[in-house]
Amino acid sequence: MHSTIVRGQNVFGFFTTICFVVAALIAASDLLAPRTPKATVAVKDLQVYEYFHLPNPVRGRPHYYSTKKEEYAIIRFSLSADLSSLFSWNTKQVFVYVSASWPNSTLGDAGKGEMVNEAVIWDTIITNPSADHLQNLGPAAMKKLVRSAKGKTIDPSRGKLEFKNQKAKYQITSPDGKLAETDNMVLKLHYNVQPWVGVLTWTPQIEFGRWKKVKGGISKAFKLPAIKVKKVAEKKAT
Amino acid sequence: MLSALQNPRQAAAQLLNFGLILSTAFMMWKGLSVISDSPSPIVVVLSGSMEPAFQRGDLLFLWNRNLMEETKVGEIVVYNVKGKDIPIVHRLVRKFGLGEEAKLLTKGDNNLADDTELYARGQDYIERKDIIGSVIAYIPFVGYVTILLSEHPWLKTVMLGLMGLVVVMQRE
Repeated sequence: MHSTIVRGQNVFGFFTTICFVVAALIAASDLLAPRTPKATVAVKDLQVYEYFHLPNPVRGRPHYYSTKKEEYAIIRFSLSADLSSLFSWNTKQVFVYVSASWPNSTLGDAGKGEMVNEAVIWDTIITNPSADHLQNLGPAAMKKLVRSAKGKTIDPSRGKLEFKNQKAKYQITSPDGKLAETDNMVLKLHYNVQPWVGVLTWTPQIEFGRWKKVKGGISKAFKLPAIKVKKVAEKKAT
Repeated sequence: MLSALQNPRQAAAQLLNFGLILSTAFMMWKGLSVISDSPSPIVVVLSGSMEPAFQRGDLLFLWNRNLMEETKVGEIVVYNVKGKDIPIVHRLVRKFGLGEEAKLLTKGDNNLADDTELYARGQDYIERKDIIGSVIAYIPFVGYVTILLSEHPWLKTVMLGLMGLVVVMQRE
């Protein structure tokens, strides 16, 4: 009954129980930290081009090829966000992304009025200083990042984002190849909080305890312009 | 040493106990599977393509029901690709259309390009039915044992040997 093995088993069992209880408490502590993010997103510039993907693949989709002509949109936007309340001791990183969503005109009644299409046009990962070492960065950038929060394990100031005229990271396309003059498109700011342990959370749809919805964070509806003819083509025409 | 032979009643009890532990674990797994509607409700991260969010060996809990709303852009989903055995954990970055026929595109946070290259030949998008769940909860590192076991098969032999030794030594 009291052999070394049984004792070892008991100690190990007790150890894992304690680990799980502590982890559960840490995860639950997220609910106590108020989240009051706010943001403003606005469109700065819109361009729609068309081309064959073959000679000139879309940025962000280097392995996607199409044999038919497709239109793609480049969006420039401004973003001013304060997500500093999302950083607590259990925050590993916050994944911030801006998406463009638009209703589908070709889908018929099923998609009328609903934002049935959504594409991420820009994203960024903000690590809490405790997770800086996990970032995929070059040595110089890593040094700079680590130095920026020296001595701190939580750095809410990283949650403040300010972009005046940011170019989209990913150009958007559409499976049917048509995008020009798409109406009622909006840009939205979203976030995804990745904890050290516990439940992953996204931009809430409803207020939940101390977690408020994002104040703002949606741009005014806009319409994509007509296809912009490349300058080379214009010269040939004249 | 050979107490099992001397006392068949105790041996039977031990065997039953062992069976109980196995079936409890199996039922818990299947129960979770039913609750989350996912064939594999808990997965272990095998690659670094979602770093810094997930490292190798981290444990992810999946949820595969759309009770309130559809699976949407920004969610981290686990999906299967035709002809490939290993499910992939990546973030949904584009969604065109609604429901079962929606075309979905995924990308790993740590990858520069999206997953078009990982899909089957000629496949540009995945569909809802390819997804076996969205990540809802996270425990770091706990699943690393399974990676160790699959990468170093001799560890399995060592573990089995140790367990056997414990069973034989534990007489009472």
